[in-house]
Amino acid sequence: MSLAAEAFVSQIAGCRGPERTISRIKQSAEPWPENATLYQPLREDQILLSDCASSLAVQAYLRMCNLPVHVSCRSNAEYMSPSGKVPFVHVGNQVVSELGPIVQFTKAKGHSLSDGLDDVQRAEMKAYMELVNNMLLTAELYIQWCDDTTATEISRPRYSSPYSWPLNQILAYQKQWEVRRKMNAIGWAGKSLEQVYEDVSQCCQALSQRLGTQPYFFNKQPTELDALVFGHLFTILTTRLTSDELGEKIKSYSNLLAFCRRIEQSYFEDSQAGSSSRGYSKGPSLF
Amino acid sequence: MGTVHARSMDPLPMHGRDMGVHPDDMIEVQEAEQETKQEVLENKDVVVQHVNIEGLGRTKEDLLGYEISEVFHAKNLVDVMKKSHIARQKLLRLGIFKEVEVVIDTSDGADALPNGLDVTFEVTEMKRLTGSYNTMVGNNEGSMVLGVKLPNVFGRAEKLTFQFSYGTKETSYGLSFFKPQPGNFERNLALNLYKVTGQFPWSSLKETDRGVSTELNFPLWRTNHTLKWEGVWRELGCLARSASFAVREESGHTLKSALSHTMSIDNRNSAIFPKKGALLRINQELAGYTGGDASFLKEDFELQVNRRLVWDSVLSASLWGGCLLPIGGRPSSIADRFYLGGPTSVRGFGMYSIGPQSEGDYLGGEAYWAGGLHLYTPLPFRPGRAGFGDLFRTHFFLNAGNLCNLNYGEGPRAHLQRLAECIRWSYGAGIVLRLGNIARLELNYCIPMGVQSGDRICDGVQFGAGIRFL
Repeated sequence: MSLAAEAFVSQIAGCRGPERTISRIKQSAEPWPENATLYQPLREDQILLSDCASSLAVQAYLRMCNLPVHVSCRSNAEYMSPSGKVPFVHVGNQVVSELGPIVQFTKAKGHSLSDGLDDVQRAEMKAYMELVNNMLLTAELYIQWCDDTTATEISRPRYSSPYSWPLNQILAYQKQWEVRRKMNAIGWAGKSLEQVYEDVSQCCQALSQRLGTQPYFFNKQPTELDALVFGHLFTILTTRLTSDELGEKIKSYSNLLAFCRRIEQSYFEDSQAGSSSRGYSKGPSLF
Repeated sequence: MGTVHARSMDPLPMHGRDMGVHPDDMIEVQEAEQETKQEVLENKDVVVQHVNIEGLGRTKEDLLGYEISEVFHAKNLVDVMKKSHIARQKLLRLGIFKEVEVVIDTSDGADALPNGLDVTFEVTEMKRLTGSYNTMVGNNEGSMVLGVKLPNVFGRAEKLTFQFSYGTKETSYGLSFFKPQPGNFERNLALNLYKVTGQFPWSSLKETDRGVSTELNFPLWRTNHTLKWEGVWRELGCLARSASFAVREESGHTLKSALSHTMSIDNRNSAIFPKKGALLRINQELAGYTGGDASFLKEDFELQVNRRLVWDSVLSASLWGGCLLPIGGRPSSIADRFYLGGPTSVRGFGMYSIGPQSEGDYLGGEAYWAGGLHLYTPLPFRPGRAGFGDLFRTHFFLNAGNLCNLNYGEGPRAHLQRLAECIRWSYGAGIVLRLGNIARLELNYCIPMGVQSGDRICDGVQFGAGIRFL
């Protein structure tokens, strides 16, 4: 498909930022460089559940596209990112953050996982991705920052670990207030922890039903939806929080477990066994 | 007996009235018995019996005792007038009086001696609270600035000032408390609390500093010393999406807690167009041992010597230098490094646009030196002499400098060699205008030389305004 037609199609599918796609058509002539780097917060001490999930989703997507990327951990990754969210990739001269824009960026370079989908399927994929973002990601943020136990024992200490006193306290509380304000704005402030777990359960049920017995969500090839779901579910399963309930909700759906294992085996264990798999599977689990 | 009203000896108007002293006038004021009075006035021994201060409201008297104590030691009338004048200057320097007038009278009362004098300082205190409101426009931003000043808060010349600036892009504020030592105004303590934001387009960087500092100033023999502790929360960010990745990597929050010491000797006759004298200022800053993330030792110095030549022209030479040693293996931050270039340092180059750079953003360097040689002359044909024309000078200059990063594994000889290679220099001429007592404007024609790849030059006409010039 010609690049112009691709841009047109992506507009129909309702991608955000058609003008960005068009501008990247000019850069798409450059191939994917060897030194592309993905930046995320420090793995051992700093990164939190939601950021780890987003980062893993992007890494999974890039591996599925067969694009090499080197992962670099920085304590100020969140502030380096142009949108304020991690992860972001530095490719050539470009800096792109978050999965959505990264997918479009790679599409402009000619790599895409969702080419084989027709319009209906693409719309469906978008809908499920929105579901994961609105439900799973928001639930992760809620549990990290709005649940007092988790915030005090895990989130604030980890978030502020690279800084010295009193800056660490200021930044941690600032982030907490910011997330709580966001939860207020979207109406999650009134929810209790039980309701959030219920929402997660329902989300997993919808995903499980869609997945069924297929290896991936669409046909036999993974798409960005698979990468996103894998990122979130795998991180939740391998992260120890103050309670295990979140992981339990997911474990009750066996096809989702099998799905995570399958992707891990296909895309993450063939590269240097040990460093990469141990790296992300540990997650923010210190407790 | 007649009243002797001693007028002050100010040559320039200050806060009081402009007066010249005319001993002849004294004699005119006298009524009859002129010859007898003349005897009393000129050089006969007198004793100052009382020194009073009238008009005090909230000012505590013990503070003023030190300033006026010298008057008691006067031996004759001329001496009394001189010492009263000095005491008046000292009282005005405290910054708590709007006006000070001196009245010298012969003593009255039961214990009055025949040659006794009473000196009275009539003071007008400043109001408890003064405010100011300005609007400023500049650099694509408009802001309103509100200032509040409380002079003499607790009665001993303490001063509290607050300034708040609310702009379309940024807000900043500063609160400052100043307390001098009673009797020793040069020894003082200042506490500051501030938030300032700055935008640095030459590095595509914006910086927000929120900090607190305490500062102790004291003179020691002929030098002035300042000891300061400062704690700053710095937030760095990219000014534009097109900022280079090297600047993007510096984004984020850091905390700097630093102790610094400054020593300065300044015997120039003026800060702006000195005709003679020299200035030496040496500054050290040690960060990291009192907390915070930033850890470094920073040294910098400033030297300026001036000498008068024929025909009212002045030759001035200046030298600046500094180096930054990161401690503990962490790399230095872009906010701590030195910058070079521009109308206030090496003229002929863009603002802070010399040295290490990445994709057009200047990153600063860890060591630098800069030197300047200037010849200042009055305007040709001296228009507006003794008036407006005296605010201008023409100057011919030669500037040179270098800025680089050092690899601290090498020895000092390698560093000096590095600083001596690839020297940037420039020469030219221009006109300088003096603004008040602190700032100056320059309009120069510059020819930059020794330009290295990556430097941004500004050859031809360059305009500069500022306080500190090379």
